[in-house]
Amino acid sequence: MNDLLLMCLIAGRRAAIPAALVQSVIEIDQITPIPGAPDFILGLTAMRSQALTVIDCQIALGFGGQEQDSDRRAAVVQVGGHSYALLVEEAYDVGEARSDPIEVPGGFGHGWQMAARGMVETDCGPTLLIDVDALVAGPVARAA
Amino acid sequence: MDDLLADFVAETREMLEASGGEIVAWEADPSDRARLDTIFRFVHTVKGNCGFFDFPHLEKLSHAAEDALADCRAGRREADSTLVSAVLAIIDRISEMIDSIEAGEDHPEGGDDALIAALNPHDDTPGMSPAEPHKPSETTQVTATSPAEGKADAGPKPARAASVQRTIRLPTELLDEVMKGVSDMVLARNDLARRLRDAGDHPEIDGPFDRLSTILAEVRSSITRMRMQRLEHLFSSLPRLVRDLSTELGKQVMVDFEGGEVELDREMIEMVRDPLTHIIRNAIDHGLEGPGERIKSGKHEIGLLKFAARQSGNQITLAISDDGRGIDADRLAAKAVAAGIYSQAEIDEMSERRKHHLIFEPGLSTAEKVSSVSGRGVGMDVVRANIEHVGGSIDVTTKPGEGTSFHLKLPLTLSIIAALTVGSGGQRYAIPRSYVEEIVFGSSDHVDFAEAGDRRLVTFRGKRVPCLALGEILGSEDPGSVDWASMTLVLVRMASNDVFALAVDRVYDHEDVVVKPIAPAIMETGLYAGTTLLDDGRPMMLLDLPSIAQKHRLVDEMRSMARTLPEEEQTEQRKARPVMLFTGLDGRRRAVRLELVRRIDTISREAIDIEGSRKQAVIDGAIFSLLGLEYGELPEGRCRLLRLSDGEHEVVYAVSEVLDAADMDGEIVPSSADPAVEGVTLIGGEPVPVIDGHGLFAAQGTARKTGRTASCHLPASSDWARTILEPLVEAAGYRVSTEPEEETDVAIELVDDDPRPAFPARHIIRLRPEPEPAENDDESIYRYDREALLSALKRARVEKTA
Repeated sequence: MNDLLLMCLIAGRRAAIPAALVQSVIEIDQITPIPGAPDFILGLTAMRSQALTVIDCQIALGFGGQEQDSDRRAAVVQVGGHSYALLVEEAYDVGEARSDPIEVPGGFGHGWQMAARGMVETDCGPTLLIDVDALVAGPVARAA
Repeated sequence: MDDLLADFVAETREMLEASGGEIVAWEADPSDRARLDTIFRFVHTVKGNCGFFDFPHLEKLSHAAEDALADCRAGRREADSTLVSAVLAIIDRISEMIDSIEAGEDHPEGGDDALIAALNPHDDTPGMSPAEPHKPSETTQVTATSPAEGKADAGPKPARAASVQRTIRLPTELLDEVMKGVSDMVLARNDLARRLRDAGDHPEIDGPFDRLSTILAEVRSSITRMRMQRLEHLFSSLPRLVRDLSTELGKQVMVDFEGGEVELDREMIEMVRDPLTHIIRNAIDHGLEGPGERIKSGKHEIGLLKFAARQSGNQITLAISDDGRGIDADRLAAKAVAAGIYSQAEIDEMSERRKHHLIFEPGLSTAEKVSSVSGRGVGMDVVRANIEHVGGSIDVTTKPGEGTSFHLKLPLTLSIIAALTVGSGGQRYAIPRSYVEEIVFGSSDHVDFAEAGDRRLVTFRGKRVPCLALGEILGSEDPGSVDWASMTLVLVRMASNDVFALAVDRVYDHEDVVVKPIAPAIMETGLYAGTTLLDDGRPMMLLDLPSIAQKHRLVDEMRSMARTLPEEEQTEQRKARPVMLFTGLDGRRRAVRLELVRRIDTISREAIDIEGSRKQAVIDGAIFSLLGLEYGELPEGRCRLLRLSDGEHEVVYAVSEVLDAADMDGEIVPSSADPAVEGVTLIGGEPVPVIDGHGLFAAQGTARKTGRTASCHLPASSDWARTILEPLVEAAGYRVSTEPEEETDVAIELVDDDPRPAFPARHIIRLRPEPEPAENDDESIYRYDREALLSALKRARVEKTA
């Protein structure tokens, strides 16, 4: 199991997104809000003439909103033919997974449990592997 | 050449080429089943396609070959070399005919019978023998020596082909991909343009960039055309459908097409195919009568189904009309009541047109009985939904005994739509242009805002329509904080013909936008239909108006509002009798007929002037008579006023609070105790006095005119007319015309004015200087006889309005 992972920081915790799913990592400067949309959807942003749905990973996991001082980095992924920008607190390097994703006794805790595929060992220590599909579906859809 | 024909030629050619190898192989081994199938498919397709054109020879030939081959496939006949030769001769012949068709020439006639006869295994016709076994060269000879001398044309053929439009066939996926690529290219260009703008002047880049833009625009338009297809393609499949259906139902139907050359997006054509099929089914099943019934009602025995397409700007209108029995509005209404969709009371309020629109209600079928053709669980509601889904609309008009027409309006393409961009809360949104009826400013004179309960209404051109602020719809703005007069109103007409006003901060521009789908989580809001990028690269949402209207129950709301809608429906509206509830200055609840209420005003106490019996209020620089004071004292500070109008005069009525709009469905019990009250009615179980609108205006006389006033010419040269007569005439409600050419309602002339200037007028009032009339003069009026003059003016006015 030597999958490449994009290491990032979500809600103050180390998390990883499978690098194969990530098209690019961008810095978001402008977001067009979408009134009426669920709160984990911050709005739309454009990347190379393409509209991306911006998802605040922290809210999508069921935590409170993100602080303003984050560097607004986002991983661009495609789910079901739609492109999303997953806004994370920080996006580090790409690292390698040193193990298969595994469950840990007692689960990962509220929020994480729903959108995590498991824990993987990496060079920086144990990291949660994010289930992008579940994250994009948002808290409501997952709970249902 | 006709596109459809070109397609046919290209397709046949293509099949010929593709099956060329098969033909050769089949020749070598007639028992090869796979080859046989290929050849069979070829002649079968040719035969099928011939059905759309007038090529009897071609059809006959391919039909004969198909029959023979079908026998082989069914095992009734052995595929021997004789048959192979005969079939190949026919295929060669078809190929020649195709060449002639493409060149627009008459194809060589004659010899066909011999070729067909050659297919017959027991044929022993001399001369045109089935070619000798295993000698395909002989077969070609059959063709070559046929009387028409097909081969003789071989010489000039290449030159001929050059003048013919060349066509190829492409997979649609490829077209879609190219189309998408070009759309993205346009967006990238816009992005680049923005960056160039930001970077300032760069003459060395701007020139080439402009060129790039021009080229891109051209490519985009040709790509769009590439996706277009003539409606003929759609029409071509309909005669068959109509024929099958009418046979099944024992009716005779003739089909008539118009506008087959109109082009539509290929995808759109596929999208409307099903709805169209449904409409045709309905028309033949329910619309058109059987032959006997038609003759009885004096119609031609054969029913007519007419399709007419027309392009108008960015829209295609397609009308499907039949000359059948029409839609029985009452029966439809009765069904709607029976199905529990509407109450009888609601039906009673409906206009005829509105009743016809019931056909689009879910769960309503006009069929007496479910037949094999219709009643398959899919109704016109689904048809409408499908049409709306592609951004179109559908309407129906019908005349009992004369027929029914469905009018479809379709956008040209699916992916690029004409949109109106509007602003709300600092963001831009796009609205499909096809829904936009009109744009008006909230501050214009002819726009009036009113409230009925929490529902905001706007009166525009005599219609009272619900009004919603976009910010309110999107949840980004509190409805209470909206400054309506500063808004721009986009009047939106839904496919169901319901109208509502969308108040936005401002309207930006008309743009062609490339619409991209949005993420499911956003789709779930029901507010947006897609997204698109602005020229500056920022994303913008496309509003989903049908869904918004649904969500805010505007379609339903409007059903009850319909009674205050167009003036021509006044007769129906009267039955509805909606009223506005308010509390008078004495704090008691009263009602006034809603038709009378033009708007609600709030003015300050200073703008009200009371002196003795004269009570007046000043609103927007105009003076109105003030009523309602008999019930109590005006409040200090701000006063609420209902502005009432009988269509001609306006008065204001002081109230302490406006409550709600309600329906007055019961009787009004007349009351003689209070002359200002028409009677008492029950609303929500409580008695409410209804103020007497008639009495109210009767007591006012000429308070203030609205609407078109009558016009009058005065003697031009007379000072007396200008100083004395003019104010009098104006007070009587006339506009004094200064245009000598204008034909006025009344012209006043002085008897002693000689020669009289001939003013064009419908009525002439002549004034004489003497109190006593001169001899032979029984019509003129003494110029100081105020009573007589006023009554003459009034008479002319009444005759005018009558």
